[in-house]
Amino acid sequence: MDPLIPLTVAVPLLAAALLAAFSPFVTRRVIELSSIAVAAAVTAMCLLLLSGASEAPLVYWFGGHMPRDGLALGIAFVVDPLGAALAAFAGVLVTATLVYSWRYFDAVGVLFHSLLLIFLAGIIGLAISGDLFNIFVFLELLSVAAFALTGYKIEETGPLQGALNFGVTNTVGAFFVLWGIALLYGRTGALNLAQMGETLAGGPVDSLVVTAIALLATGFFIKAAIVPFHFWLADTYATAPLPVCILLGGVVSELGLFAFARVYWTVFDGALASSHEELRILLLAAGALTAVVGAVMSFAQRHLQRMLAFSVIAHAGLLLVGLGLMSPAGLAGAAVYLLAGGLVKASLFMCLGILQHRLGGVDELRLHGRARHMIFTGTLFLVGGLVLAGIPPAGTYAGKALLEEEANLLGLSWVTPLFVLVSCLTGGAVLRAAGKVFMGWGPPPGHSGGEEDAQVGQETTVERDRTPAVMFVPALVLLTAAIIIPFVPGLLGGSEAAAVAFADRPAYAGSVLLGTRHPITEARAHEWTVPTELIAGAASVIGAVALAAFTLRRAPLPQKALGKARTGAERVVGGLTKLHSRHIGDYTAWLTMGAALLGGALAAALL
Amino acid sequence: MTSRGRRGLFLTGAAGLALLLLWGTAGLPDFGDYQHLYGLTLNAESVAATRATNAVAAVTFDYRGFDTLGEEFILFAAVLGTALLLRAQREEEEEPPEDMAPDRRPPHDSDAVRELCLGLVAPIFLFGVYIVVHGHLSPGGGFQGGVVLATAPLLMYIGGEYRGLRTVTPEAPLELVKGAGTGGYVLIGLSGLWFGTSFLDNALPRGNAGDVISSGTILALNLAVGMAVAGGLVLLLTEFLEQTLVLRSRSRK
Repeated sequence: MDPLIPLTVAVPLLAAALLAAFSPFVTRRVIELSSIAVAAAVTAMCLLLLSGASEAPLVYWFGGHMPRDGLALGIAFVVDPLGAALAAFAGVLVTATLVYSWRYFDAVGVLFHSLLLIFLAGIIGLAISGDLFNIFVFLELLSVAAFALTGYKIEETGPLQGALNFGVTNTVGAFFVLWGIALLYGRTGALNLAQMGETLAGGPVDSLVVTAIALLATGFFIKAAIVPFHFWLADTYATAPLPVCILLGGVVSELGLFAFARVYWTVFDGALASSHEELRILLLAAGALTAVVGAVMSFAQRHLQRMLAFSVIAHAGLLLVGLGLMSPAGLAGAAVYLLAGGLVKASLFMCLGILQHRLGGVDELRLHGRARHMIFTGTLFLVGGLVLAGIPPAGTYAGKALLEEEANLLGLSWVTPLFVLVSCLTGGAVLRAAGKVFMGWGPPPGHSGGEEDAQVGQETTVERDRTPAVMFVPALVLLTAAIIIPFVPGLLGGSEAAAVAFADRPAYAGSVLLGTRHPITEARAHEWTVPTELIAGAASVIGAVALAAFTLRRAPLPQKALGKARTGAERVVGGLTKLHSRHIGDYTAWLTMGAALLGGALAAALL
Repeated sequence: MTSRGRRGLFLTGAAGLALLLLWGTAGLPDFGDYQHLYGLTLNAESVAATRATNAVAAVTFDYRGFDTLGEEFILFAAVLGTALLLRAQREEEEEPPEDMAPDRRPPHDSDAVRELCLGLVAPIFLFGVYIVVHGHLSPGGGFQGGVVLATAPLLMYIGGEYRGLRTVTPEAPLELVKGAGTGGYVLIGLSGLWFGTSFLDNALPRGNAGDVISSGTILALNLAVGMAVAGGLVLLLTEFLEQTLVLRSRSRK
């Protein structure tokens, strides 16, 4: 067994404990440098695991408790390429965040660094664990670290409220997951994913199995911010410190979807094999709804951080559509899109952090034209908007093209227009903000309504003259990575092969319980540069630019021409905004209703 | 949403959810009808294999010791997070408490409470140590014993000896105890990698079942957890006491 596997989690945890213990005795620079070194080393370890796992999944049994006659006694890490890639991606983002926050916080203590390393260990454990209860433990570990990090700015009420909403809703989510685990344990007497899957595959699909998957899905979807479990996310991400948002927006929301996919394909896929079609409809519907709500709300925001927060929700919806295709090719497309989208969102959050650092705020109207001199950051933000819209041949385009091709093969022709619409709105929102803030285009801010001012958090008047290199360079590197993803040799084909292994439950169970070796064979990804996809990609970008231009025009359009369409759109946005009331009681009510509806829908679909 | 609408939405959803849960729970095996191989195997072999007479400890610190590592760090992260949220802010200053009722005299300290609390400090401390080191033999262990240990300083506070409490619980050594306990768990795990076959392998001599010094790493891990929990809880306690005993500046934005 490869000792590298446990070290990916043990090293950051040990470093976090040591940093906290010795913090009174060392200087801030030592803490910063050592945490960056640890995060970079862990990233390198994850990349090594990725190259090892690309040949065949690696299994590691803690405490030396190997399975006996196919019975799992201990806890296993099962490193497959998709899990290892997610772990490495998290490592990259945490390293970038540590570099980025070198200059961001005036008084950053050891607590921030310790918590970030714990957070990294939690993500890695979640990504490669092969045990359902262990997944729950790591999900809680990274959540607890995240709750504290989002409330970092204790002198303001907004972040504390956001952190509280985050903590309450996500802890309720954890209860759902735990309840689901308890039901499954009662049925299968196991916690090992492969073992549970084997037992369930031989048994009936009854009320217990349906309830268990409904509870697990609810818990994971709360973490992933799927409509109607998404309300907390906008409040939290809009107020959290921007360095924390890099991680939250880059990778954390997607972890809920990853956990759902992992549990579905290792535990439930055998038992529910005959209900693929029904499950597909359900997941696609939830994904499409989430994507549209997130995209529309994103375009309606003027507070840039809240705008990107809704963009994160829209992306979670698109990823759920990818999972909902219920096929390896859909998984592969979702993996590529997760990577590229995560990178570009992280980079955009970094740009917002630069704006905050330089100009003391991130409100589109207040910053109108004030960033004209920030040419480099402006260019980065503009390109980020285009990549977010999925400009060919960037990684976001490739991910969407793979998903659209697979959807077309399955006869789901509505997926492409949905993706184009969501890309137009989320990309257009960023482009519009770029035009206003960095170019000074559009009508200058007049009297803004009282209600909209509620969106503006605490803004300071501090202005600084220079952008620190430690803030700009990570943003540039991540954005470049998001663009060149499709050209990394073997990445697209590799993710297809990895997705085939991810979704192969019998092979997974064999390698975990019996120790058989299941080599991952080469696979060819869908073509991603075919004319139809290029047209869809171009349409997304043109649409985004057109939407941005439309809102940036100086002269108001004649009211008659667009009157009806306009009031209609305003009514939709107004209604949606009203639903996002920032009242935690509302959120809990929606969450409870959502859980009941999801349970009912799953019961109808699976029985 | 109006409060009426919210209540309606919640109650409808909650009713549906309750039905779902009842319906799902109906699929569980009957009470007392346990037939799963995993639990039966561990019950049958754990004492002989680990020499821990408490099978629960054998599961939490040996077979599933890696889960417990994560749980210990959840507690650690929660303590760090609380310290982060309760940290002193730049514009905050310590103020002497303001006497809200100058015309009334403070109640006389109860000698009974004081003597009882201070008298209990040492026995409680000893009891906590007992619970920690007997975790592999009887119910208890590092988590439970650590909480008992942290009760001793709390008794000092209730007994009216806040100053004495601060002298016996200075922050830097507490951080060290907590860090050593938390990091110690990982180090014991690494020792398994070094001396045995894998991370958290129980590679220490296991002794005889029933002895205090037995069960190899299970005892060592309990000690580590006891330190981490006791240190972490006392730090939490002092953080919260400082919030209430030292008045924060009232300038709220």
